Amino acid sequence: MPTEFFDIERTSDATRVIVRGTLDVNSAPALSESIDGIVAERPTKVVVDLSGLDIIDSSGVAVLVKLYKGVRGVGGTVVVQGARDQPLAIFKLLRMDKVFAL
Amino acid sequence: MGAPSIRLTVPGTLRHRAIAVRVVAEACRLVSRPQDADGGRSENGAHLAPGYDLSHPFDAAFVSAFAEIFNNIAIHAYQRRDGGTIEMAISIAGDGLIVEIRDQGQPFDIDAVPMPELDSLPEGGMGIHIARALLDEVIYEPGPPNLWRLVKRLEPEARQASTAS
Repeated sequence: MPTEFFDIERTSDATRVIVRGTLDVNSAPALSESIDGIVAERPTKVVVDLSGLDIIDSSGVAVLVKLYKGVRGVGGTVVVQGARDQPLAIFKLLRMDKVFAL
Repeated sequence: MGAPSIRLTVPGTLRHRAIAVRVVAEACRLVSRPQDADGGRSENGAHLAPGYDLSHPFDAAFVSAFAEIFNNIAIHAYQRRDGGTIEMAISIAGDGLIVEIRDQGQPFDIDAVPMPELDSLPEGGMGIHIARALLDEVIYEPGPPNLWRLVKRLEPEARQASTAS
């Protein structure tokens, strides 16, 4: 169920996960639940749009890793776009900028 | 870095995390951009955005680290239960920020916390690593009360840029 922190859009060629504001220990669990649904659909491509994301913590990173692993695990690809500022710094610190090709 | 301190006590739950984070973010701004500290206005006179402003790397680093430690206390020390408190003492100096945090929760052995294996894309265990990587000092003394001491100094070049703008 999308919240003020994220939306999920399904197009003919991809599932788009649009995250905005704060993805942290308080907001990540709702996205985590939705990720279970996305992975169950066995998508071929998931695009994660982080251009509206201002702040992330390790719980937020964990849920994005869960998405990445889950989609890859069912044979799909994950494209992460638009990370900037504090979230990008955290991805770099955790060496996930290379995994997510940021 | 002797300085007047700000003291804040909040319930040790994730529901109250944003209050503590916002106060730390504002304290960071007093260090990184003291010229803006005129009652919440930016240098062009506009009120700051409703969210906290992490555009300065010092602020982003300290707030990121502090948030991880708060998570750790609420989730692990207090095991997500109500009733505990988190006492904060924030000391601001011209060249840095010290935040001391005390809680009465379950202590742990910080030296036993393993480094996350980043190459395997961990889904947990990253919080203390983030805090240690972003701050100059992260000291933990098991209690009760458990004591965290978080310290970060403003890099000289950042200080010059801050005062020049």
